[in-house]
Amino acid sequence: MDGHGAILTSHQSDKVAEKNKKSEGIWRVDALTKVLKEVHSLFVMFHGSLRALIEKDASGGIVRVHLYYFIIDYLNNFIVGNKVQLPSFHDCLKERGTVQMLTVGREAAIAVQSLVGTMESLCVGNTACDSLVLFQDLLVSTTLSPDDTVNLFTYAVMRLTPHALSSSTNSWSYLRKSTVSQVSTGSVLLTAGSAPGEIYASGDTSPDNRSLRYHVPRPLRRENWTKGKDGFLVCESWAAEIADPVSKTPTLLLQKTGERVYLCVYQHKNLSIILLIPVNSVISGEQWLSMMKQQLLENVSLKILKVEERLTRGWGGENAYHVKGYRYLLVDSDRSISRASPPGKVTTLSKDSLLALTKLREEVDIEKKRKKEDDPQHDKDLEVCIRAGNNAWVIARLTRGKELYMVLEKANETLLYASDAVEKFSSRYCDGAFSLD
Amino acid sequence: MLGKASSSHAAGGLCGSGALSHVYIQHPPLRCSVPGARGLYYDDGNKLVLSPTVDQVYAWKTAPYSPYTNPSVDSIGEGPVLSIHYSLDGKVIGIQRSNHEIQFVNRETGDMFMQRCGSESESILGFFWTDCPSCDVVFIKTSGLELYAYEPALRALRMVETKRLNISWYIYTHESRLLLLASGMQCRTFTGFQFSFGGLIRLPRFEMAMTKAEANKKPVLDAEDVHIITVYGRIYCLQVDRVAMLLHLYRFYRDAVVPQGYLPIYSSKIAVSVIDNVLLIHQVDAKVIIVYDIFSDCQAPISAPLPLLLRGFPRINASSSQSTGKDTTHIIANELSDLEGTTYGDGWMFLVPDFVCDTVHCNLWRIHLDLEAIAASSSEVPSVLEFLQRRKLEPDKVKQLCLALTRTLILERRPVPVVSRALDVLVASFSHSLKIGSNVQRRSIEGDQSNSGNQRAGGSRAIVNESISRDEHGKSVYGPTRGLDNESQKSKSVPVDNESINRTTGSAMNRPSTCSDSEDSSNQDVTTQISGAGVGQLSSHSQTLAIGLDAFNSSVSGQRESRVVSPVISPDEMYASVFSLVEEEMTGDPAYLIAIIVEYFRSAASEKLKVNPNLNVMIIQLLARSERFEEVDLFVVNKIVEPSKEVALQLIESGRQNYLTRKLGMDMLRLLRLHHDYVLLLVQDGYFLEGLTFMFTDSKICVNTVRPSLFLEAAFTSNNSQHLAAVLRFFADFIPGFKNTSDHNTYCRILSEMNPSLAA
Repeated sequence: MDGHGAILTSHQSDKVAEKNKKSEGIWRVDALTKVLKEVHSLFVMFHGSLRALIEKDASGGIVRVHLYYFIIDYLNNFIVGNKVQLPSFHDCLKERGTVQMLTVGREAAIAVQSLVGTMESLCVGNTACDSLVLFQDLLVSTTLSPDDTVNLFTYAVMRLTPHALSSSTNSWSYLRKSTVSQVSTGSVLLTAGSAPGEIYASGDTSPDNRSLRYHVPRPLRRENWTKGKDGFLVCESWAAEIADPVSKTPTLLLQKTGERVYLCVYQHKNLSIILLIPVNSVISGEQWLSMMKQQLLENVSLKILKVEERLTRGWGGENAYHVKGYRYLLVDSDRSISRASPPGKVTTLSKDSLLALTKLREEVDIEKKRKKEDDPQHDKDLEVCIRAGNNAWVIARLTRGKELYMVLEKANETLLYASDAVEKFSSRYCDGAFSLD
Repeated sequence: MLGKASSSHAAGGLCGSGALSHVYIQHPPLRCSVPGARGLYYDDGNKLVLSPTVDQVYAWKTAPYSPYTNPSVDSIGEGPVLSIHYSLDGKVIGIQRSNHEIQFVNRETGDMFMQRCGSESESILGFFWTDCPSCDVVFIKTSGLELYAYEPALRALRMVETKRLNISWYIYTHESRLLLLASGMQCRTFTGFQFSFGGLIRLPRFEMAMTKAEANKKPVLDAEDVHIITVYGRIYCLQVDRVAMLLHLYRFYRDAVVPQGYLPIYSSKIAVSVIDNVLLIHQVDAKVIIVYDIFSDCQAPISAPLPLLLRGFPRINASSSQSTGKDTTHIIANELSDLEGTTYGDGWMFLVPDFVCDTVHCNLWRIHLDLEAIAASSSEVPSVLEFLQRRKLEPDKVKQLCLALTRTLILERRPVPVVSRALDVLVASFSHSLKIGSNVQRRSIEGDQSNSGNQRAGGSRAIVNESISRDEHGKSVYGPTRGLDNESQKSKSVPVDNESINRTTGSAMNRPSTCSDSEDSSNQDVTTQISGAGVGQLSSHSQTLAIGLDAFNSSVSGQRESRVVSPVISPDEMYASVFSLVEEEMTGDPAYLIAIIVEYFRSAASEKLKVNPNLNVMIIQLLARSERFEEVDLFVVNKIVEPSKEVALQLIESGRQNYLTRKLGMDMLRLLRLHHDYVLLLVQDGYFLEGLTFMFTDSKICVNTVRPSLFLEAAFTSNNSQHLAAVLRFFADFIPGFKNTSDHNTYCRILSEMNPSLAA
C-alpha cells in the first residue's frame, strides 16, 4: 500500500554504524543540492540570471567577477575554524531552502496584518509593494510568493536580522578577516595583480585605465548592513550599480514577477520589516525613497512598536519549539516551511541516531523522487519507522506534501509505542496532519 | 443607495431654500392660541404649555410632541395669573394669583383654596411641585423657601419646613430637580437645593464669575443669564458674563460646584436648548446657533455658527399653482414674513429642554438637530461618528447615517488609518452597548414611574448628579471641599458596596458600574450616585437614578415603540450594510478593501467581538482574486479568519487556481470534522486510498455517511483497475452485507471486464 507501514530492518542501520569511522564525510545528496540551489537563487535574486549577465558581456568577465565574490561571500557562512564545512549528517534535522515561521496568536496576527496593510496602502499609489515581517530569525508575515519568500528570508537571516547584524561584527569578524580580507573592499581593482581583476581586465592594459574600478555589488558580504539612526538599515558599501551610479539602496529581482525592487529594511528591536518597492514606481530615486521612509515612520511607527511588544510578550525564547522527548523536523514542502527541534537540543542526540536519520532521509529522498516521476499530480503518503542500532526509533512520515522526521532515543521498544508517539505529536503540534483519524 | 444619505431637507424654509443650517424647526408648529388668552405659560414638570383665559386654562401636552395636540381645558376661576403649574400627578392646578397668594384647584372635584403668604414684607417669587419625598410644593419667597405637603383632605397645605435666606431671584428646572437661589448685591452668590427622590440636598454656596466693567461699577447678574442644563445625566449651569462676553460652565457634584471653563459668546443675549444631550447656544442677537457636545474635555463647537432653519413651510410658488388660490398664498406669505420678523425676537421664549415658544403668534416649535447636515459639515469622519453614536433620539436615522458615512469613507479610499479610526469608533460603541446590555429599556421604565410621581421611596439622602469618585476626566473634580465633606469621603470609599448593592437589589440598572472603563459617563454618574447613597436605602436607588436622566427618558420613551433602540452597529450589520455593499461597488485592486477589512478584524478583536462569518469568506475571496495566496495561507494558519465550513468551501473554490489554497480548505474540513465533505473531496481529487484509509480509521463516523458507490464511481472513472479492485475489496471487508448489494455486483462485473485475469 504505497509504502505504508514499511519498516526497514535493523541490518540496514547496522550498515550505517559500520560507516561510523568515516562518518564525517557522510553527506545527504539532497542537502548538498539544496546548498547549490540556495546560492544560485540568491545570486539570481541580486544579480539576475547568469544568462542575462552573459548576454550583457559575452566574454564572461562580468559573470565571473560577480560569481567569484558572491560564492566567496556565500561560503563564508560555512567556515568553521579555518575550513569550509558543508552540511553533513549533523544537519539532518534541518531543511535548507525553507522558511521558519513564528507561531502567533490570532490577535497578534491581526495586528501584524494591520501593519502590513497600512504600510502597503501608504507605500506607493497604485503599484503593489511587498513586505516581509520577521521577528528574531523567524518569519511572521509575507506577501511574496513562496520561492521569493524563501530567498529573501534566507538572505535576511543570513545578513539582516538583529542576530545576523550582531554576529557579523562579533564572532564572525575574525574569520572574515582571515579568509577574504584582501577582497573586502567590495570593488575590483583593474590591476594585473588581483585575480578577479585579471580575469576581467585581461584585454585592457592601458595605464590610464589601471585605476578604473569596476564595482561589483556584494550583497552577501558581512558588515554590509548597519542600523541607521532612523531605524532603517543602511547598506554601507553596496557597490553602485553600473547602470545607476546614484542609487545607494540595494535592489533585487523578484522571481515571480521578474520585477526589480528596492530593498528597504526597518528594524525595531527584534522586529525586522522588509519593504520591497518596485524600482519602476520610484521616479526620483533616493530622494523619493527617503521621503517615503519618513512618511511611513510617521504613520506606522506606533503600530510597529505595538506589534514588537506583542510579539515579544508571546515569544517563548529560542527553545520555544522544543517538544520534550522528541527531536523532530517538520517540513511543509508545498509552502517551503519547516520547523525543527532547536539546534541546542539536536546536539544531545547520539551520532548513531543522526547517522541513521541521515540514511533514512536519503532513502526517503529517493522514494520521493521516484514517486514524483510516477505520478506528479499526487502527493504520496509514506511511513517508515526504523529501530536504529542504538535502540532509538528513527521515523519518517509523509502525508499530502507534509513531511515529519523524528528521532526518539528514549523510547519503549515496541513499534506501537513509536507510532503512538508520532500520533500524539501530530495531533498536538501539526493539527493532526499526520494522524489518521 | 450608497454614498451619503440623502438628507430629507424639505424644500423652502425660513431663511431661503437650501440655506446651510444645523438646527431647524419643523412646520407646522403647535398652535396654542385660544380666544381671550392671557399669555402663555410653561409647566416644565409636566411639559405642558398653558394658556389661561378669564376663568379657564388650556393645556397642551408637549411630550410626546405633536403639532396637532388638542388642549385640555380646566376651570380655574377668575383672577390674575402670575404663574401656573399642574401637580406632578396632574390632579391639582396651582395658580399664583399675586405676590402673596397661590390658589390650588382640584381638577376632579373643582375644590379650590388659597394659600396666603404670612407678612406683607415678603413676596412670593414663584413655586413648583416636586416629587421629593418630604414635600409636594415649594414656595420661593424673597425671605426664603417654604416646603409644603399637599393635603387634599384638609383642603390645605401643611408646612413641612422653611429655610430662611434672602433671595433675589431663582431658577429651577424639573429636569434637574435643581433650584438655584441668587442673592447678594450682584446676585452672583448662589445657594442650590436639589429636590430629588432621595430627599433634599443642599449644595454648598458658591459664587459665579463676573467681570467688572469699570472700577466702581458692578454688574448685576440677571435670571435670564443663568441656565441649568442636563446633558448625559450630568447637571451643569451656564452663566453669561456680559462684560467679558463669556459663557461660564459649572458642573454640579454632590458636594461641590466645579467651574468647567467657558465658551465664547457673540451675543449679549443667550438662549440655551438641549437636544439629545447636545447643547445649543442660541446667539440671540446674531440669530445663529453654536452646537456643542459637552461629553469630554473638548469644548470645541461641533459646528460653525449657523442660523436656525424653518422646514416644511409650504412653498409659495408651489401652493399658488394649486387650487388653494391666491388668498392662501397671500396668507402664507404674510405668515412667513411674520415669522421671519419674530425669529429670535422678544416674543421668543426658550423652554427646557428643546422648545421655543413664539408668544406673539402663540406657536410652539420643537427644535431639531439636523444630524445629516452636521455630519456633512465635517471631514473628520471618525469624530463625527463618535458624535453620532452618542445620539439616542433618532437611532434608526443615526444608524443609517453612520453606515452611509462609513461606506463613503471606504469608497472614497480615504487613508487606511482614518478608516481604521472610524471603524474603531463603531466597534467600541457596539461593544459598549453590549456591556450595558438591556439597561436602556429598564431605565426608561423606571423613569416613567418616577415622572408619575406616584412612588416615593423612603431614601432620606437624595443626590445631585455627582461622580467625584469616578469622574473619567479627572479634571479638577476634587473640589476644595474634598477633605472636609463627609459625604464625598463616603462616596469615595464605598465602590465595593456599590457592587454589592447591585447584587442585592438585582437591579440591572446598576450594571454599568461594572464596566468602569465605559465612555458613557452618564452611567458612571449613576454608579456614584448609588455609592453615595449608601447601603440600607436600597429602595431609593432605582428612584434616584432617574434624576438627571430625564433627558434620557424623554428621548428613550419617544422611541421605545420603534424597534431600533440604539444607533450602534452590530457585526452583522457591518457586513450587510457596509462591507458587502462596498465590495460590490468597488472596482480595481482589492488591496485597499482587504486592508480595511483587516483593520475591522483588528478592531473587533480588540473588543473581543466576532465578525460576521461572511466577512471571513469575503476576505478569502478578495485575496484569491488578487492572487495573494501567500496571504490566504497566513490568514488561515494564524486563524485570522475563523475556521468554518463556509470558509473551507471558499478556500477549495479559490483553490482552483492554487492547489495549496485548496489543501488549506481540505485541512480545515478535516479539522472541523466535516468528514463527509472531506472524504468526498479526497475522492474527487483521486485520493481514493487516502479516503478509504480515513474512513477505515474513523469508521464509526464515516462508513455510514459516505456511500460506497461514490468511491466506486470515482475509482471507475479513474480507469485504473487496481484502484477499483482495492475499493471493492475495502467495502467487501468492512461493510457487512456489501457483497449482496447491487453496487458490488455491478462493479465486480465492470472490474472483470476491465481486467479478466484479476477477476479470476
